[in-house]
Amino acid sequence: MDARRRRVMKEIADCKNDKSSNIRIDMIDDSPFHLNGSFPGPEDTPYQGGHFEVDIVIPPTYPFQPVKMKFITKVYHPNVSSASGAICLDILKDAWSPVLTLKSTLISLQSLLCSPEPNDPQDAEVAKHFTTSKGSFDDTARYWTQIYAVDPSARGKSSEKLQSAGDEVAMAGLEKAHVDQFEALGFERGKVIDALRRLNYRGANVANITEDRIVEELLK
Amino acid sequence: MDMDAFNDDFKVTSKGKHKSYEIDYESLTQGAVEKLMQADIEHISGIFGVDENTASLLLRYMNWNKERLIEKYMDNAASVTSSAGISPLEPPTSQSQAPIRSSIEAFVCPICFDDSQTKTLCLSCDHTFCASCWIAYATSKIRDDQEMAIRCMAEGCSLVAPDLFVRSILEEDTTTWDRFRELVIRHFVASNPNLKYCPYPSCTHTVSCPSASSKSSLATVVPTVACGASATHKFCFGCPIDGDHRPVICGVAKMWLKKCRDDSETANWIKSNTKECSKCQSTIEKNGGCNHMTCKKCKHEFCWVCMGPWIEHGTAWYSCNRYDEKDGVDARDAQSKSRASLERYLHYYNRWANHEQSAKLSIELYSKTEKKMEEMQITSDLTWIEVQFMKKAVDEVEKCRMTLKWTYAMAYYLDKGNEKELFEDNQRDLERAVEDLSELLESPIEAENIPTLRQKVTDKTVYVQKRNEIVLEDTANGFLEGRWQWNCSVDGFD
Ligand SMILES: [Zn+2]
Ligand SMILES: [Zn+2]
Ligand SMILES: [Zn+2]
Ligand SMILES: [Zn+2]
Ligand SMILES: [Zn+2]
Ligand SMILES: [Zn+2]
Repeated sequence: MDARRRRVMKEIADCKNDKSSNIRIDMIDDSPFHLNGSFPGPEDTPYQGGHFEVDIVIPPTYPFQPVKMKFITKVYHPNVSSASGAICLDILKDAWSPVLTLKSTLISLQSLLCSPEPNDPQDAEVAKHFTTSKGSFDDTARYWTQIYAVDPSARGKSSEKLQSAGDEVAMAGLEKAHVDQFEALGFERGKVIDALRRLNYRGANVANITEDRIVEELLK
Repeated sequence: MDMDAFNDDFKVTSKGKHKSYEIDYESLTQGAVEKLMQADIEHISGIFGVDENTASLLLRYMNWNKERLIEKYMDNAASVTSSAGISPLEPPTSQSQAPIRSSIEAFVCPICFDDSQTKTLCLSCDHTFCASCWIAYATSKIRDDQEMAIRCMAEGCSLVAPDLFVRSILEEDTTTWDRFRELVIRHFVASNPNLKYCPYPSCTHTVSCPSASSKSSLATVVPTVACGASATHKFCFGCPIDGDHRPVICGVAKMWLKKCRDDSETANWIKSNTKECSKCQSTIEKNGGCNHMTCKKCKHEFCWVCMGPWIEHGTAWYSCNRYDEKDGVDARDAQSKSRASLERYLHYYNRWANHEQSAKLSIELYSKTEKKMEEMQITSDLTWIEVQFMKKAVDEVEKCRMTLKWTYAMAYYLDKGNEKELFEDNQRDLERAVEDLSELLESPIEAENIPTLRQKVTDKTVYVQKRNEIVLEDTANGFLEGRWQWNCSVDGFD
């Protein structure tokens, strides 16, 4: 068995044996080089109660080059792409050390959920939301957790229904009254949501954006 | 006829040793650069009283800026040392030797989880790993990340492995060790504005060109250099553009290339290698670099570039190279103005792309010429050396097409006026000479005409060379004299 395989197999076994941690690493098929990691959302955060899944790819040069990870579960977080799940975290890049493990890396992801780094964002729009109106950001992140991360085993028809019926306005972290206001001017609802999200029309920031500016954005 | 006499055929009288479009430079081998680097290392090692490994790491950390390193070191030696990844705890000499520990009690490597490894290594931080992990790690850092600072593998430890340590772990892999040394040298070269690494794949030569090291110098000279490995390793010292972009300076060349990229959609059609005959509309394909086209069907002769009748091109009113600005002046409304500006651009782009394309097709012309040369040796009593005039002519045509290509980038940005007209006169003369020679090269060979053909080709080659010389010299002088005025703002000009 080559050194990489031995190491990854041991990491998977160690993680399984460690009853105290709530990190899970599972093989997707027979290969130990493409894995599925998961952990519960940290308590006292908008991610509490959610179950977050991560796609793990072990490169041929592991552990001398960092493991590749991205969120499978959709997460509303400044350092995670809301579209692709790509993660901006130093240990997944330059700060990687071969002594880090899959488990320790997943724990780092868990703590990234506790302490976002909006100055080094992966998703600029989400980061803007976070820095300008934390309360509204928390609501949205919590809403995303409810929609996407709660109870994965029961994620069947009912939650799919919830997703499609999931309130677009809440998903975008906006207020219904604002969206209604511009929809009433004759703009398409989806377009209004996109524009308001781009402009970060939330919380105190609402006062900084004139209606003209929004109409201009809508007419683009 | 000997080789010297043959070369005399092509001699162009040059006024001085140093032409105004040439720049002084020197090509250095990797060994020569290593010596320069070593001198800096010894210098710092002497001043600071540290070993050479440490001096080297300090210099790398400060991007080989000796003055700044000395200043910072005098200010706070401990802080610079630790930032450079050198252990402050022990005297630097002791970490140069890679400590090899034979384990007394069972050692489990924290990376590969292997407890059967007997050979372990650590830097002066004592973070110990097995030797095979160190080897795999250093190899991956060097090969995959092009990294020349190999840090300790422990999380958060910032110690950098000194060269002796790296060398000891790569003892059995000289290729990777050589790659590591090359990375260090490349870093040294990249940090020194007077030096540039040859951009040709797997070439390890460096060119030193101090007179083109400042940004301001690039407003007056085009620093075309070639490394000592091969005359074909020609590159610009001032910018990353491939090959030789004389006579136009880096800033203008860059602007032009950007414009071409941005407008490539609109201009793409022009690159296509087929066109329709303007008279009978049958499709004509271009092969060979000559722009004098003859329709196979209707025998109409025309210019590939402007599609105008070829007859006009041989005469005094030849103006294929000059864009008629009148149309632009008359344009009143915005729409026709933008149309005019697109047409103006296409005029220059067309000619630019055509010379590039023709130069590429020269390769074809080359093999055709080689065949002709063989033929000649059979049908005439000329020797191999004596038929070289054909090859020489093809080389010259290709070279001059490159010059012509870039003159169109220059002309696009030149402000209207006398100077531009003179520039375009020179450009036209060169272009006409090149097309003439190009056509001659593609004409069929008859045994009895070979002596005349040889004379004609040789004469025309000399003439083309002279015209090229004039364009390059005059443009270069214009830069030195500040004669060129632009129709937009150009880096380094007011
Ligand atoms: Zn090991
Ligand atoms: Zn260490
Ligand atoms: Zn070279
Ligand atoms: Zn250049
Ligand atoms: Zn025709
Ligand atoms: Zn023409």
